[in-house]
Amino acid sequence: MKKFFSDTYWVFWREIKHLLRQRMRIFMTIFQPVIWLTLMGNVFSKVASVPGFPADSYLNYMAPGIVVMVTLFGGVFGGMTLIWDRRLGFLQKMVAAPISRTSIIFGKMLSIAAQCIFQVTIIFIIAMFMDVNFATGAGGFLIMIILASLLCLVFAGISLSLGAVTTSHETLIAAVNLLTLPLMFTSNAMMPTQMMPDWLSNIAKFNPVTYAVEPIRDLFLTGYDWSSIANAGLMLGVLTLALTSIAVYLFRKNLSL
Amino acid sequence: MSNSIVETKDLTKMYPGDILAVDRVSFTVDKGEIFGFLGPNGAGKTTTILMLITLLPPTSGSATLCDFDIVANQHDVRCCIGYVSQDTAVDDDLTGWENLALQAGFYHLSSKTANERIKEVLEMVDLTDRANEMVGHYSGGMRKRLDIASGLIHRPEILFLDEPTLGLDIQTRVKIWDYIEKLRREKDITIFVTTHYMDEADFLCDRIAIIDQGTIKAIGQPAKLKNDLGGDILQLEIGKSAQNQAKDIIQKLDDLPFVNNITQTNNTLLLYIRDGESSTPKIFSLLDKLGVPIEAMLLKKPSLDDVFLHFTGKDLRDETGNRWDSMMTRMKMRRVRR
Repeated sequence: MKKFFSDTYWVFWREIKHLLRQRMRIFMTIFQPVIWLTLMGNVFSKVASVPGFPADSYLNYMAPGIVVMVTLFGGVFGGMTLIWDRRLGFLQKMVAAPISRTSIIFGKMLSIAAQCIFQVTIIFIIAMFMDVNFATGAGGFLIMIILASLLCLVFAGISLSLGAVTTSHETLIAAVNLLTLPLMFTSNAMMPTQMMPDWLSNIAKFNPVTYAVEPIRDLFLTGYDWSSIANAGLMLGVLTLALTSIAVYLFRKNLSL
Repeated sequence: MSNSIVETKDLTKMYPGDILAVDRVSFTVDKGEIFGFLGPNGAGKTTTILMLITLLPPTSGSATLCDFDIVANQHDVRCCIGYVSQDTAVDDDLTGWENLALQAGFYHLSSKTANERIKEVLEMVDLTDRANEMVGHYSGGMRKRLDIASGLIHRPEILFLDEPTLGLDIQTRVKIWDYIEKLRREKDITIFVTTHYMDEADFLCDRIAIIDQGTIKAIGQPAKLKNDLGGDILQLEIGKSAQNQAKDIIQKLDDLPFVNNITQTNNTLLLYIRDGESSTPKIFSLLDKLGVPIEAMLLKKPSLDDVFLHFTGKDLRDETGNRWDSMMTRMKMRRVRR
């Protein structure tokens, strides 16, 4: 067990080293939400004056949506490093060592979650500078981080499962594109479900992204809504567990792909 | 306690689609020797290694490493081996030191031991003063050296080097050989090396196994394998006019006491003879008597090339492997040469 944690730590350590070395990537991860917040916030600012819109400015409404979107994108590319490691033979070197195979997936997932937490924090700070309303305090921030991490892990699990069964980046990118935008726009991240046509709002109800956005948005706009927080926590927790297991299973099964 | 560190018995690997990559291979590697696997691309060298280091389950047959079974005791096997793949799998986005620290972590060394070992292996491959540079800035030879160093961090009993000089220029290759020699001299370690370079196998290895199409064709010391061919090699090109009496000529030559073996392709005769320098004139005078014109001749000491030719019926240098293999090789080379 001690070895398992040690192996996970070293996989995590490597990924974080990579991340910290890529200054351009860090810059982009900060810059991207700024563009979303300023540009989209402006373009759709009139939406807020539509009767029935649940926030007093679109920016206020969208900031939590951006938090979730960044989380989603951060998680969903997580399988990329697995494909690279396999292609460059580094994966083979890792598994030739007496390390736990499961720890490779765990280490990567943790590093993806850490990256998400970093990004969400940055967006949050920027949003605060843009006078975005945040109804709850430090506790609300913590809950937001936890829910965002869980959502991120769900998508990291999907991505690593794909990365475990394919050796081509293109396949993963295609799958990511197929997945992310529909998930984003069939959720309430950009538009309230009340303003959607019925068929779309029905889809939105079952979308895990909606589950995460709902309580996070409450933390921004109104305050703690414990039932929706518990609901999201449970749902995302179960999904994380399931997808992590799938990723581990597929990875172990396809080690010598 | 046996003196061997690797023992295989009828080790076989069948890939899906009934591709027989390794076919009932049996051999032993003694402790402390440099053992070479020599064969063309796609001969089954890497597949054999992958089975020995537990990354590929054998279809049938068995093998032990350091007395551990490769299927039943995978963890123990992994602890006693070091593996340096042909991919030169070093992490470009880490420094040399960090690469080794990571490897030390994967082998569960304490941080104190890790620091000592990292210094030690860096010294070994002369990378001490480049340790804090990003590996992305290393040359191909340096990357390979770092890769070998990381295979040594946990002091394995046996080090597997899969095509250690693939894609390197000739000076760098010779340097890598020096490191391997030094390793054997200074550490108590067995080295298992695969290569498709004859000179490499000849220079480095105490014993070699010639492998082709998944089977071992011959095994032994390079010098002995060459000797076993039956002395020197005389290559003769006889005139076209004599070609239809070739059979007769071969018969006559074979009767000479110093001629061990003759093979013929078109108008080229390949004679394995004893004491080439003194025997050749005698052969010439015999052919002269028979009225056979000689267009060209070559007398040489046998090389591993000739051994390979003798056992497999083909020239290793002409062997290109199949399209997939050559594509993979090119990809790897491109990566190494960056």
